Amino acid sequence: MSNSPDVELRLPAESAYVAVLRMTTAGLAARLDFTLDDIEDLRMAVGEACALVLEHSDPGGDLHATFDLSDGSIRVAVSADTTVDTDPDEDSFGWQVLTALTSDVRTSREGHLNWVSFTVRSSIAA
Amino acid sequence: MSGPESEPGREPAHGSSGVPTDLSALNRRRRTPLTARQISTRELSNSLFTELTHPDTSDARRIDCRDELVRLHLPLVDHCARRFMNRGEPLDDLVQVGTIGLIKSVDRFDTERGVEFSTYATPTILGEIKRYFRDKGWAIRVPRRLQELRMSIGAVTGDMSQELGRSPTPREIALKLGVSVEEVMEGIESANAYSTLSLDAGDSGEDGQSNSMLDTLGMDDEALAHVEIRESIKPLIEQLPPREKRILMLRFFRGMTQSQIADEIGVSQMHVSRLLNRTLAQLRTSLSEVS
Repeated sequence: MSNSPDVELRLPAESAYVAVLRMTTAGLAARLDFTLDDIEDLRMAVGEACALVLEHSDPGGDLHATFDLSDGSIRVAVSADTTVDTDPDEDSFGWQVLTALTSDVRTSREGHLNWVSFTVRSSIAA
Repeated sequence: MSGPESEPGREPAHGSSGVPTDLSALNRRRRTPLTARQISTRELSNSLFTELTHPDTSDARRIDCRDELVRLHLPLVDHCARRFMNRGEPLDDLVQVGTIGLIKSVDRFDTERGVEFSTYATPTILGEIKRYFRDKGWAIRVPRRLQELRMSIGAVTGDMSQELGRSPTPREIALKLGVSVEEVMEGIESANAYSTLSLDAGDSGEDGQSNSMLDTLGMDDEALAHVEIRESIKPLIEQLPPREKRILMLRFFRGMTQSQIADEIGVSQMHVSRLLNRTLAQLRTSLSEVS
């Protein structure tokens, strides 16, 4: 991930906390003057990305999220601690939703962390 | 129950000039229940309001007047509540919330306006009952302030999408409504807590906890990883109601935004958002059942 993200968040790796993450993401996007549609997409994408990384996550581990904010775009990366060395299934429903909603979807591995990252651009960015 | 106008320590001045001449007659009438029963509800109501708002009326008497006014108009509440019978809520509950509307009406009624009290009270009572139905539609108890904010956001979003040719930003909505961006976000967040009962019922989790729609999207869904399951999604999509299927297609195959879909289908963007969330959650549930 980039050297120092603008926003970093660490939560318990449980689906219940995904709602918190989605809300936080929406708040950040609102600050960047994203439209409601963009925010809704972003919210959905975060949910799907989390579902992907939580699939093989260790129980009791952490869910990490970083955000890079720039004018008119936001790059989100989520990961969870895992011992399973698998990439997210690109045939999965969640992956399809994610690639449909966002751009530059990437997966990467960093030690015991499986990252899924993507970018959402504001539709009114110049 | 305390009178809204009660101001302890400020007893009305004696011999105030504005005393209508019939006040003593009115009081005499009040002390003789037999005659009181003979006059019509309307007259009784009028005289009670006159007494209630009169500066010389004591606080204790005011409370009595207010109580009596409420009691006098209870049949009106009953009448209003009956119009909402057989809609899934017990009549007693409806009468109860309607009575709150009646009490509010008594407190707010302005005798100077020259309208009948019942004319004034009926919309308030109906409004209170309707609000009760609306509140009941929420899976999570959302403060009324937020519910109302959500509705104004919904209305403004529609208009602004027309004007701008795209969906508005929270800041634009905030400006339009004269609230802060944070409040707009709160309102939008609260919209995610709105759901129909059936949707809620289908969502009680396997661990016995019932989740809101908010929770379901990020669910940990192992079943989805399997390719066979992906294949099984096709018939599931086929089974979706036409509108849900259409929204899904428009969103993910034609790449339309929720606002564009809203325009195309003729519902609000928030409604599209809900339908999409629900459809995705449904597909997810069906898939895990298949496995």
